[in-house]
Amino acid sequence: MALTTAPDPTRRGTGSARAHAPRGVAGRIRNSEGLAGYVFLSPWLIGLMAVTAIPMLLSLYLSFTDYDILTPFSEVEWVGFANYERMFTADPSYWHAVRVTLTFALVAVPLKLAAALGVALLLNRAWRGVGLFRSLFYLPSLLGGSVALAIVWVNMFNRDGAFNSLLAVFGIEGKPWVNDPDWALETLMVLAIWQFGAPMVIFLAGLKQVPTELYEAASVDGANRWRQFRAVTLPMLSPVIFFNLVLETINGFQGFTAAFVLSNGTGGPVDSTLMYTLNLYIKGFTDLEMGYASAMAWVFLLAIGIITAILFSTGRFWVHYSDGEDR
Amino acid sequence: MHPATPPTAGAPAGRSHRTARRNLLRGLVALAVAAPLALGAAACGSDDASDAPNAPVKLSIFWWGGDARGKLTEDALALYSKKHPNVTFEKTWQANQGYFDKLATLTAGGNPPDIFQIDDNALAEYAARNTTLDLTGFKDSGKLDVSKFPKSLWQYGVVDGKLAGLAAGENTQGLVYNKTLLTSNGLPEPTSGMSWEEHIAWAEQVAKKAGVPGTMDPSADYKAFWVWLRQQGKDLYKGKEIGFTAEDVTRWFELWKGARDRGATPTPDVIHEGNATDITKQLVVTGKAGTSWVWVNQMPELKKNTKDELGVVAYPGDPSAQWARASMYWSAFKGTKYRDVAVDVLNFLVNDPEAAKILGTDRGLPSNLDLRRVVSDDITDPAMKQSIAVETELAQKFGESPQVPIKGHSKVRAELIKAAENAQYGRATPAEAAAQFLAACKSAIV
Amino acid sequence: MTSTARPAVSRPRRPRASGGGGQAVRLLVLIAIVAVVLYPLFWMIGASVKSQEEIVSNIGLLPREFTPGNYVDGWTNFDLSFGRFFLNSAMVSLLTVVGNAISCLLAAYAFARLKFRLRGMWFAVMIGTLLLPGHVLIVPQYILFRTLGLVGGEWPYLPLLIPQFLATEAFFVFLMVQFMRGIPRELDEAAKIDGASAFGIFRHVILPLSRPALVTTAIFSFIWTWNDFFRQLVFLSSLEDYTVPVALTLFIDSTSQSAVGPMFAMSVLSLLPVFLFFLAFQRMLVEGINTSGIKG
Repeated sequence: MALTTAPDPTRRGTGSARAHAPRGVAGRIRNSEGLAGYVFLSPWLIGLMAVTAIPMLLSLYLSFTDYDILTPFSEVEWVGFANYERMFTADPSYWHAVRVTLTFALVAVPLKLAAALGVALLLNRAWRGVGLFRSLFYLPSLLGGSVALAIVWVNMFNRDGAFNSLLAVFGIEGKPWVNDPDWALETLMVLAIWQFGAPMVIFLAGLKQVPTELYEAASVDGANRWRQFRAVTLPMLSPVIFFNLVLETINGFQGFTAAFVLSNGTGGPVDSTLMYTLNLYIKGFTDLEMGYASAMAWVFLLAIGIITAILFSTGRFWVHYSDGEDR
Repeated sequence: MHPATPPTAGAPAGRSHRTARRNLLRGLVALAVAAPLALGAAACGSDDASDAPNAPVKLSIFWWGGDARGKLTEDALALYSKKHPNVTFEKTWQANQGYFDKLATLTAGGNPPDIFQIDDNALAEYAARNTTLDLTGFKDSGKLDVSKFPKSLWQYGVVDGKLAGLAAGENTQGLVYNKTLLTSNGLPEPTSGMSWEEHIAWAEQVAKKAGVPGTMDPSADYKAFWVWLRQQGKDLYKGKEIGFTAEDVTRWFELWKGARDRGATPTPDVIHEGNATDITKQLVVTGKAGTSWVWVNQMPELKKNTKDELGVVAYPGDPSAQWARASMYWSAFKGTKYRDVAVDVLNFLVNDPEAAKILGTDRGLPSNLDLRRVVSDDITDPAMKQSIAVETELAQKFGESPQVPIKGHSKVRAELIKAAENAQYGRATPAEAAAQFLAACKSAIV
Repeated sequence: MTSTARPAVSRPRRPRASGGGGQAVRLLVLIAIVAVVLYPLFWMIGASVKSQEEIVSNIGLLPREFTPGNYVDGWTNFDLSFGRFFLNSAMVSLLTVVGNAISCLLAAYAFARLKFRLRGMWFAVMIGTLLLPGHVLIVPQYILFRTLGLVGGEWPYLPLLIPQFLATEAFFVFLMVQFMRGIPRELDEAAKIDGASAFGIFRHVILPLSRPALVTTAIFSFIWTWNDFFRQLVFLSSLEDYTVPVALTLFIDSTSQSAVGPMFAMSVLSLLPVFLFFLAFQRMLVEGINTSGIKG
């Protein structure tokens, strides 16, 4: 797996732990810790074996077959790498979806993170009504991918929608955004950014974890707000920034719901919102080519795995952990 | 889809190696999945259960629809249980969003419902994979009575010589128009039997006088394309092949390009909105066009979404290109433990007078013509009355049913939308879009 | 940003305090943003009191004819009251919160703090489980759960809940790992030297300091489960077991039924519990953690 390149916190951690504690104690602790580690991990391990791994491995197996959901497993045909070959050589819609997804992720992910961090900083301090504002900003994310949201969004962004009315105030002539193949993807990005509540909450929670004495110490040193932000907030928040970056990148590439909801599950108009996972869903469930869809899923896993691994390897240069393991 | 992925060139070389690995993997997979499948298979074999006349039977039944249909169907099934106290039902119903995803998943899990609702878009997919019980024998023995059905209607459930689905109701294509818009502007109403050219000229007229494009552009709509094809002596499918050529598609796309150029239809973005199948997005109710291309039995629901008066006629051209289409079917799962009971329930749902009264026209006009008359007389909703009148009149002119759409049809439908929209947005000429569509069709139905 | 930076310069010594003109400016900016961000929601509330024809034809914010009956219709539309679906959803969501909070916290503690063989590999596997698009897992999972006898039992929620008690949501495990790694290790070391076991450290050091992560997990578990459609659709099969997202789709069968008004009304109502849940839990994010007394 591509992910074996993810940093192994153990390796570097042991050294520093040893340096801190007397040798004999450390040895005893390490043995009992090994056991404790697996005890604490056991629910996850059971879940992995019983719930996650088998379906994953099955889907890997199915990616080498012509599985169509309706045919029993016992009758599926092994097709070798044919599904993978088809993806890379004989399916233009596949590459189209890859382009759509890359465009979407590269634009929407940074903007969503910026919006989330900006608003989280605005809403971090305690003042009356802050809770209400936080909740109001989270409201869009509560809608998820419901039927209601689909209708609402289309009504905001079609030719006679509210967005164009807003533009008209500034004398700008609008477009039929959701129904224009040149702009539908942008509309989708706006929807994704609009639902920035999840990373916002995580940023807020992260900001709460920054020990207040650090700010006090910094202000005693005469640091202004910006200096405090650079010297205290950013480094202390970096594990959480890192988490949001990794997760939103994964989510951005997986972005299914918005595309499904806005295009009625088609990826239209003319494939302009055909995100990778939407394409995969259509192939798997509508066209009943689940073998092919599984192959697409595993290529996706590899590609995102590599991107994630790269993010992890850059992490050691800018992510600051208070547990000292990265120093 | 069977060999949608053609076997790799040079496959023979690696065959033995591959077989070995396949066996290994099969073994692993078998561990995980053999149990339920074996159970299912064992269950398939035994038909005994239904032989004992009054042994308790529990049938699972699955359909899609709104809550109105939910209630009616539950009532009809309750009536069956009343008449056959040993039979109870495990009823599952949901809206059509996700219905086929769930049905496929249940099938994969080895426990599809004993009875399920299905439509002509999916029937061949399920029948071709032997998921549906072949009802032919039951029809021949009279356990399943289709003698009161229009012949072409029950035949529209035959796939590869097997009766895979029993028509739960009948409908046909209908052009629904905004009567209020026309009368208030002194415009004539469209009529069944208008030629396509006349229809477009009329729509242009509407656009000029009423300021609303007269018709939705149906070039992305398979059911309009299908009727048009049949009028050209072609068909959507012939055997396992598509029944038309690139030239046919080009002419179809050009017909509507002409209409768009004349302003008879809305702009492409509005057409795209109308291409969604939802009732609430049909342009005739959103007021963005004078007519929508729908099914006749959708008329009452359309009416609920507008204050305007609506009318309905046949699609343009010779109405004999239309047929008695099964709006949806009831099918039984091939592996059901209770074949006889399941078939008896199917028979009850379409032929029992009391059940017919309960079910009404919710799934289309009753398939049984005797019951259709009775049910129609009871209808009071004016919109429903109107659609029954139109369908009854059209029924005199119906032609032979085409074959049920083949495996891969859902993809063909999606590709038609894509190609037609490419032409509508001006991203391709009709000929280019047609070529694109044909190429896509070929890979869709391999 | 400028509006927040300016008052700060004038009061460098009291970073947490704010007020006066700065706050007023900030408030105005926030209200303006909120108004734009929430317009679609206002529209949705407007639509929930529009008549059927109006939702389709009137794209304005306000209804021409006020139709509060949508709420009554929606609530009483089915043989069961819509409240039943709320109860089902609440039960599934709350149990999911409990399951995720416990199981993910345990796993995260192991990953973040304990040293054991193959930790790096397991961590990579855990991240890896985040990456596979879920749609290819539904069918194998369904088959697996059926093999395990979990599908179609007396209590249909088991297949939805069991995974949540086994930390299968790697998102939360990773989230908690990141938070725990922000807790100074000196605390553990001090406790260790005092003779605390791994469990003792977990109980007395990590657990109290994990509140922000737990609150975040609770919020997301609840809301995401409340909104999850596909899995609930696949595993639930009878009306009385349906949850809110599944029930909401019952109003609209795209080809045969279009009760959009009641659907909007119930959608608005279904936002309330999650909104209140969020409002209640975000309060716990207000106070910073007290780590004073810990010297780095």
